[in-house]
Amino acid sequence: MTRCKVRVASPLRSYTGNAAEVRGSGGSLCEVLAQLERDYPGMRFRMIDEQDAIRPHIRLFVNSNEALNIDATVRDGDTVHLICALSGG
Amino acid sequence: MNQHPELTKADRERYHRHLVLGEFGEAGQQKLKAARVLIVGGGGLGSPAALYLAAAGVGTLGIVDFDTVDVTNLQRQVLYSQADVGVPKVTAAAARLRALNPLIDVQAHESEVTAANVMQLIKPYDLIVDGSDRLSTRYQVNDACVLQKKMLVSAAIYRFEGQTFSYVPDRGPCYRCVFSNAAEGVTPNCAEAGVLGVLPGILGTIQATEAIKLLTGIGEPLVGRLLIFDALTMRFDEFKVSRRKDCAVCGERPTITKPVDTVAPTCNAEQRARIRQLSAAALPAQLTSLRLIDVREAHEYAVQHLPGSENLPLSRLAAGLPALIAHAGPVLFLCRSGGRSQKACEQAVLAGLVNVVNLEGGLLAWARDVAQTFKVAAP
Repeated sequence: MTRCKVRVASPLRSYTGNAAEVRGSGGSLCEVLAQLERDYPGMRFRMIDEQDAIRPHIRLFVNSNEALNIDATVRDGDTVHLICALSGG
Repeated sequence: MNQHPELTKADRERYHRHLVLGEFGEAGQQKLKAARVLIVGGGGLGSPAALYLAAAGVGTLGIVDFDTVDVTNLQRQVLYSQADVGVPKVTAAAARLRALNPLIDVQAHESEVTAANVMQLIKPYDLIVDGSDRLSTRYQVNDACVLQKKMLVSAAIYRFEGQTFSYVPDRGPCYRCVFSNAAEGVTPNCAEAGVLGVLPGILGTIQATEAIKLLTGIGEPLVGRLLIFDALTMRFDEFKVSRRKDCAVCGERPTITKPVDTVAPTCNAEQRARIRQLSAAALPAQLTSLRLIDVREAHEYAVQHLPGSENLPLSRLAAGLPALIAHAGPVLFLCRSGGRSQKACEQAVLAGLVNVVNLEGGLLAWARDVAQTFKVAAP
């Protein structure tokens, strides 16, 4: 089982009990997101739409590489970053 | 920028510590003196950015804001003092900046940034520092900067987290390349979610640093690099972001040719089908399992409302949605006749709320089918 860390943007931490980092598992971003949804119901839909596209106010990175879709590969020990547009000034 | 204005004796004295920096020197200070910078938003980010840019000797410093100083601003908006409460922000800011550095020209623009005026507002300036607190303003400022080929230093904050990056025309991605679209309400603002007072101090100071680097041509700016700061873990993470060929404003076939007011996105059929319609007759059996959100205006709610229901008028729904999204159970939206609550349901689904219910026929149906004595106020 591929294990990874998931760094959670502040606006999404309401799902993770305010945790900034949670554990993820899966060999692709798609699988990691599915696991997150099982652990934190509703979280995936905040990031991914019905057509499995990444929502326009969200950017996902595996380590420092941007994932343009959810097929991106995730390897053991990787960090998945969930980034969300912020609006405060 | 004006070319190489002479430094006066007063300039040399004031900016001595810049002049002795080898990478900066007299040429760098001359570039700052010639520079015209506009700060959008005299808030948490704009405050430190304005103070440092004024202190550094940016020749013309503009600040645009339509708000007045509120006592709750003083926890982080270090441009202002207790005595400024109630004063227009740009008036107080201009006085503070002129007192800090009388050698520079400070321009106060007491105005809301809109799609209609943003092009004119930024026109006289070389570089824009965006410290606004609305996504719609961020897009308008970005689009105007792309269209007029102005440099932009953008930052945003939320609770303990900040993000910043710089845009230089033809050199890297713009804000729309990074976040192609974001509906108002996807993240709450600082008034709702709170913000650590010192956080905008850090981000605004980074913006000032970036502006000075871009104006003087030193160092490596945050072009194509999105910097994320987490104050709780004291981590800076950097992510490479690229220009998008399909970007609506700076891409190969731009569809945005002038700044626009944000158009509210609408649900598609599939999303709409996800909204559960509940009849008034079926509501009593489910009352205890639902969170009730009454989206009528406050005066209607005041006449009579369902016990346990919360009032969140449709006009203010976007601001309240993030808090609702955190709620795990089903949320029922209700209004007078079911129209406004249906719109609220659609907005909620678009924002990511999973379990959304609409009271079909609204409180009129409730008064007709369940509680005949219930008074439904006129809108």
